[in-house]
Amino acid sequence: MKILTVCGAGLGSSFACQMSIEAVLRELGIEAILDHTDISSVSGMTADIIVSAKNFETQFERYNIKCPTVFLNRLVDKNEIKEKLVPVLKELGAM
Amino acid sequence: MDELVLTERNTLFKAEAKDWVEGVRIAGEMLVKQGCAKPEYVDNIVKAIQKYGPYIVIAEGIAIPHTRPEEGALETGCALVTLKTPVYFEGDSSPVKVLISFSAVDNDKHIDLLRTLVEFIEQGMIDEIAKVSDYEEFLQLRKSNIKMNQM
Repeated sequence: MKILTVCGAGLGSSFACQMSIEAVLRELGIEAILDHTDISSVSGMTADIIVSAKNFETQFERYNIKCPTVFLNRLVDKNEIKEKLVPVLKELGAM
Repeated sequence: MDELVLTERNTLFKAEAKDWVEGVRIAGEMLVKQGCAKPEYVDNIVKAIQKYGPYIVIAEGIAIPHTRPEEGALETGCALVTLKTPVYFEGDSSPVKVLISFSAVDNDKHIDLLRTLVEFIEQGMIDEIAKVSDYEEFLQLRKSNIKMNQM
């Protein structure tokens, strides 16, 4: 299971988001490989789930992303992460 | 990692900004003053937000102005600015009073800063930081919180 977080610069907001997701996954007892990147590099990367900020949603529509995507209003909000990520994890059979 | 410590030199409390651009500029200029970024880094942060949206508002009340290393960063550094009156980012309804800007020169030197930031947010410290009116008070708040002592 690889989860990729995406933001504009690929080193601040997405990295902070990655840390919050790691905390959520620890709570849920799920193991995953996490990484973060910037929006302009995302189309060349592979992941099982992509997590990004709401404001990137329209930009993602232009890319041909095959994996499930999760868009957050707040990148560092464990409750929102849990609420939106758990259904996807279940769908993928990770929990 | 001295450059990531918040001191009297890279903190500014209850600054006045008329809008998010000014708030971001104040926080960005503090990186320039410390020699951590070129002036163009500040312009590039504003441009990135205008281009992509308010993704730097990572939780209620806090924005982390930054952009890519090659956009004018010179060293890894950070600055904390709190605002007297909140600003609103385009496309975001959350009033922002705390800005923590940073510059990064690679993909991991700023990881400790981000980790501390995420802890602040998860512990609900942002509102407390917004209330601080000077560095002395900030020190007291740090003392009252073990996690903040690590910053």
